Formats: sequence, structure tokens, C-alpha cells
Amino acid sequence: MASSRGRSSPHAFGQIILLAAGLVILTLISATSVYLVNKTREASRSTVHSMEVENEISLTQLQMRRAESAQRGFLLTQRPEFRHAFEEAASEIPPSFERLKALTIDNPYQQQRLDQIVPQTNQRIAHLRHNIELVQANRLAEATEMAQQEASRDAMGQIRSLANEMRAEEDRLFAARMKSADASQSLSAAVTSVGSGLIVVFAGLSIFLVRRSSRARDVAESQLRDNYLNLESTVESRTADLREANDEIQRFAYIVSHDLRSPLVNIMGFTSELDELRGDIFKRIATLSRPEGAPPPAADETAAEVEPVLEEPDKQLSQDFSEALGFIKSSIAKMDRLISAILNLTREGRREFHPDRIATRDLIENIASTMAHQAAEAGAQIRVEPLPDIVSDRLALEQIFSNLIDNALKYLKSDVPGDIAIRGRRKLGFAIFEITDNGRGIDPKDHQRIFDLFRRAGTQDRPGQGIGLAHVRALVRRLGGTMSVSSELGHGSTFTVTLPTAWTGINRDKQS
Amino acid sequence: MSKPVVIIMIEDDEGHARLIERNIRRSGVNNEIKPFRNGTDALNYLFGANGDGLPHKGETLLILLDLNLPDMTGIDILRQVKENKFLKCAPVVVLTTTDDSQEIKRCYELGCNVYITKPVNYESFANAIRQLGLFFSIIQVPRTTS
Repeated sequence: MASSRGRSSPHAFGQIILLAAGLVILTLISATSVYLVNKTREASRSTVHSMEVENEISLTQLQMRRAESAQRGFLLTQRPEFRHAFEEAASEIPPSFERLKALTIDNPYQQQRLDQIVPQTNQRIAHLRHNIELVQANRLAEATEMAQQEASRDAMGQIRSLANEMRAEEDRLFAARMKSADASQSLSAAVTSVGSGLIVVFAGLSIFLVRRSSRARDVAESQLRDNYLNLESTVESRTADLREANDEIQRFAYIVSHDLRSPLVNIMGFTSELDELRGDIFKRIATLSRPEGAPPPAADETAAEVEPVLEEPDKQLSQDFSEALGFIKSSIAKMDRLISAILNLTREGRREFHPDRIATRDLIENIASTMAHQAAEAGAQIRVEPLPDIVSDRLALEQIFSNLIDNALKYLKSDVPGDIAIRGRRKLGFAIFEITDNGRGIDPKDHQRIFDLFRRAGTQDRPGQGIGLAHVRALVRRLGGTMSVSSELGHGSTFTVTLPTAWTGINRDKQS
Repeated sequence: MSKPVVIIMIEDDEGHARLIERNIRRSGVNNEIKPFRNGTDALNYLFGANGDGLPHKGETLLILLDLNLPDMTGIDILRQVKENKFLKCAPVVVLTTTDDSQEIKRCYELGCNVYITKPVNYESFANAIRQLGLFFSIIQVPRTTS
């Protein structure tokens, strides 16, 4: 898990880098575009400006020409409309210059030219007006002469050349501005295309990376699925093995305990036969050793049947005989109890469990009521607190709780009134039951031991084979739960049983 | 009764057989007891050479049966006896160490008449056998005719 995550992280890092780079490039492109568009707009505004200037220059020149030709016309015809035309044209010129001045305020070169051209034009206009006035004063010859003089001076030529210079300057500016506008436009086109190209490349890269990582993920997924299936089959075969082994142990235990019983019947039977023989033998000895003629004490003939009157050494022999037989009998009885216990355990192990909804409190109160007599004898009270209901095997639960309560009653302290409490609570899908007593308690070193088969702890003054807790723990395990004990010598014990609230019939040893 | 009851005892354990016999005798039953140590011998005797049970037609038998035999289980013998038209009336007393309730149920289903668990406690064992003996002395056993 950790290694695959380690493998995938460079991919993710690359993706992030790519995305970030794409974003940066997009931002750069748009910023540059905005900048360049602004620049282009400025350039185009400047070109418009240049055109305006040129237009204004031409307009001024045109008005000059109009004024001149009107004056000529007047000189030739003396008709007043020419004079009007002249005045009209002359009046147009100063505003034109004003406009030019305003338009070229940022250009010293043009200002200088204007400074030259304005007085010259004014002078020229003044001359023309003078001619007209001469004509009006009927000094036509003088006026004509003046006009010829002026034409020879080529005042108009100077003005024209100045105006041409100005126009050339504006053309130059116009060309330069056009060039810069072109440059910024092509730059913007270049930036946009390069940026788009880069983005396409990045997109391609990131698609490649995504596909690669998704392929890797698919591979990992299929591997995981394979592993899972493998695991599943391994678990299945192990479970089958375990079940088989468990069944075999069950069968083995059953057969062994069953077959062990057979010889025990014989041993016990013939021991009893020996006992009877012993009676017969010692009766005979008693009869034989009695002095001839002395009749047996007739008064207690029945008593003599049971215990014949013997001499001292024979009596000793008889007692030894009984003692030996007694040991044999008690050992056989014990062995029989153990074998029965194993048989019962194996029988329990083979019983099928059935999940059932159980009102746990009712169940335990029932158990407590069946033990009421026992509890009264021991001077103990059993308190059943509210308990969570669970789904489990009824018989198994009955056995678990009756064993635990029985134990609690069995091992109370003699000097303190017994108090046994059964509590319960829910936690994360499990029901936790606690059986607490104020009895004699269990030494912590024995906490493991008491769950072992045929093992007991503490003062051995109560009957029992050391099976109850082993059995209880086996049942709890089969029900998918756990159990534990917490106790201290002399301070009571608490047995905790944790069972699943909804047992489905499947457990660790056996799958239904 | 023209012919006394014959007790067929099928018990593989010699000691058990001896103890059973002694206790039956002690209870005052003096009928003939035929002991068999394994299932095959017992079946051969019960069903004869043809395996039809004809030889015992008209006899009065009582069968004492142990379930754990070396060559077969007593339940097989029980089934065969109860399926045979001549022998099915013979009372069968199952006497065994098993006290498994399933086993007991099965035996009764197959037609066993009495099921007794051999207790290890000798006093109760002897008692059981003696009572069985008393039981034998009073019960009416039908002849194996049909």
C-alpha cells in the first residue's frame, strides 16, 4: 500500500507542475496580449493623428491656393465675387494654423516649421490683400507689377517646400508608427501561437501522464484482486484444514473417552468383586482362626456378616486391603468423571448452534430463579441489571451464564453476605456482559489457569472437575466472542464476556 | 412354556460379559446364557447358515446387545434382528457405555426394547444388571414364531 502510494506521488507532482506551468503561460499570454493590443491601439491613434496633420497641411495649402487664385481673378476681372472668395479663403487659414499648432504641440520639429510658415503665409496674404486694395484704388498696373514681383520672389514656393517638409516629417512618423504597430501585432501573434503551442504540449504531456497512472492503477487493481482471490482461497483451504483437524480431534476425543470407559467398567467391576472376595476371605479366616468348639457369637450374627471378628494381625491385613481397594475405587470414580466431562465437551463441540433473538435479561433472570435455592443457602443475592438483547445461540448462552453464576455462588466468602451482579452494555457491535461477585477472588497468577481444562485454583474445598470455565470459554469463542477475568485474591472477581450483538452463525472454527 | 428362554449375550469385552453373567446369576436367573464375542459369530448363530433365522423358529430368545463391537456396530445387528420375521419378536436389551441421546433415540427407533447405559459405578451397574435379571424372570418372552 505504502509502496504504491510512493510510486504514484511523482506522477501527481508532475501533474501539478504541468498544470501550474499551463496556468502561468496562459496568464503571460493574456497579459502580453493586453499590453500589445494597447500598444497597437496607441499606434493606430498616432497614425490617425499623422493623417489629420497632413490633412490640415493640405487644407491650409488649398486655402492659400484659393486665396491666390481669387486675387488673380480679381486682378483680371475686378469682379467683387473674387474679392469675397479671397476673404473667405484668407479667413480659413489662421484657424487651420491654430489647429496644426495644437496637433503638433508634441513635435518641436513641426513647431519650428510652423513658426516659419505662419509668418510667411501671413505676409503672403497681406501682400495679396494689398494687391486687391491697389486694384480697388484703380491702380491696376501697380498691382499687376507687384504680383509679378512676388511671383518672381517665389514666396509660394518657399511655403510649399516648408509644407512639404512638414508632410514628409509626418509621413516619416506615420511610417514609423505603422511599423511599430505591425511589429507589436506580429509579436502578439507570435506570443499567442507559441503560448498555445506550449499549452497543447502540456495538455498532451498531462494526458500521457494521466493515462500512464491510470494504467498503473489498473495493473495494481488487478494485482490486488488476484491477491485477494489468492488470500480467499488460502483462507478457505486453511479453514477447511482447521475444520477437519477440529473434527478429527472431536472424533478422537469421543472415541478415546468412550473406549476408555469400557476397561474402567471392568476395573471397577472386578475391584468390587475383589471387595466381596475380601469379605469372604476374612470371614473364612475368622472362622478358621477361632478356637475349635467355640461357637460364633450368635447374638450379632448380622454384624459378623459385615465385619468378622479378627485377631490383631489379620485385622491389620484386612484394613490394608480395604484401604487399597478404597484408593482404587476413588481413582476410578475420578477418572470416570473426567472421561464423562470430555465426552460432554466433545458432544457440545459437535452440537450445531442456531442464532436466535434473545431477551438476555429474561434469560438470566430465569437462570437466577433456578438458582434461587442455592443462593438462599449461600446467603447471597443475585442482581440482574438491564442488559442488551443479542442474537445468539440460546442454549449456549444459558450454559455460559449459568456456569458463571454457579461459580460465583460456589466460591463466595463465608463471612460476608454474597452479592452477585450481572451488568451489560453495548459497544461497537458487541455486547459486553460483566458478572461481578464479592467472593474469595482469584490470584492473578491463576487467571490463565482457570480457563484450562481440568485446572482449578485456590482452596480446593468445593466439588468440581475444573471444566466449567474451559467449557464456557469454548462456547464464547464459538459464538464469536471473547472472555476475560479481572480479580484479586480476597476481593471478588469480575468475569467479562464480550459477544457480537448479531451473531450470524459463522465463527472462527467453523463456518456454517 | 415348552422351552426356557435363552439369553443371547453379544459383548466383546470378556470382563463385561463375566460381570453381566455373574450379576444375572446373583439375581436368581438360571436360564441358559449364550455369549458371543463379536458380531459375525452372533449373526451366524442367530440367522443360521441361510441367513433367514429359520433355525430359531419356535425358540424363545432374549438378546443382550453391546453397541461397540470389533467387527460391526450393534445397531446393524439390531436392525437385522428387527427386520427378520422370525426374530423380530425377540426382546433386545441394548447394554452399552454410550449415553449419547442421539444413539439412544436411534436404537429405540430401530425397535430396541430396553436401553441400559453401563455405569462405571459398580454398585449401580450391578444393580442394573440384577434388576434386569429380575425383569427377565418376570417378563413374558414370545416365541419366535410368526
